[in-house]
Amino acid sequence: MPEQLWFTEFLNHYFGGAANALLHAVGIQPTYAEAPITNAVAMEILVVILLLLFFFIVRARLSVEKPGGLQHVAETIEEFVADQAHGVIGHGYERYVPYAVALGYFILLGNLLGLVPGFESPTAAPVVPLGCAVLTFVYYHFHGLRTHGVRYIKQFIGPLWALSWLMLPIELVSHFARILSLTVRLYANMFAGDMVTLAFFSLIPVLVPTLFLGLHLMVALVQAFIFVMLTLVYLGMAVSEEH
Amino acid sequence: MRKFTFLFVLVAVLMIASPVYAQTGGAPAGNWSVPIGVGLGMGLAAGLAGLGQGRVAGAVAEALARNPGARAGIQLALFIGLAFIESLVLFTFVLLFLRTA
Repeated sequence: MPEQLWFTEFLNHYFGGAANALLHAVGIQPTYAEAPITNAVAMEILVVILLLLFFFIVRARLSVEKPGGLQHVAETIEEFVADQAHGVIGHGYERYVPYAVALGYFILLGNLLGLVPGFESPTAAPVVPLGCAVLTFVYYHFHGLRTHGVRYIKQFIGPLWALSWLMLPIELVSHFARILSLTVRLYANMFAGDMVTLAFFSLIPVLVPTLFLGLHLMVALVQAFIFVMLTLVYLGMAVSEEH
Repeated sequence: MRKFTFLFVLVAVLMIASPVYAQTGGAPAGNWSVPIGVGLGMGLAAGLAGLGQGRVAGAVAEALARNPGARAGIQLALFIGLAFIESLVLFTFVLLFLRTA
């Protein structure tokens, strides 16, 4: 029986049976049958619930004349990401902003959740950043294919046909390495932040770990920004027109 | 005043000391090379990445001093450059963690 946060325990108590049935249906045997929902998954679900709540409240209070505080927050984040997307992708960037904003919200809230006592960051478990990275990988290749069609392969074989046998493996490896680097960057940053706080907590359990919580807060913001930014950069590379 | 300083130092030393005492006898005796390797590897990675990030920060400061108007583009390059350098350290960290845990 693994150690569970209270929210995980709550989910397992009410939905553990359903989760077990679902896992059995796809042929997976959970390690702990009495607690099939792990902390990371529970925290992910919590993040999704919080985000849905946030969006519902913002949507219900949407107003042109008197925008409320939450609407300002939502608009600021959206405009910030759209601005960056415009700078990186250029013409036709509007299509990709919703994905980037949604990803940014999810990762940002996931990172920040670890700062609240009684919760932990879902992004501090390797599977959650891996999911985001794979989604990004599929997304930008899909849009590369959609924009260029069959000619998308030109990006992989380089400018010279004679060198294509050399370029193709290099490009393939570098594209798959993006999944690894996106995953490990986010996961390791969050995990290392927790570890540093914990290490200083075990040294001096008063006041000093707060400093590192502050540092972790900054790392959480920067890493969410970096993940979204790199997603946009990869998208921009995939959909860029040859000149 | 000096008595207070002494008292605080004593308390701090005692607080640091307790986890140290708690750890004795935990590590297996034959595996002395693992902590040395971890320390060397992590230290090398962090130190060299520090050199690289220092160069990046220096170049950014210079660029901002020359042309403060180009802040947005420079900051974008700064963040992405730092993220790529930093991720190498984190690869080392994860690798060491996987090998030792």
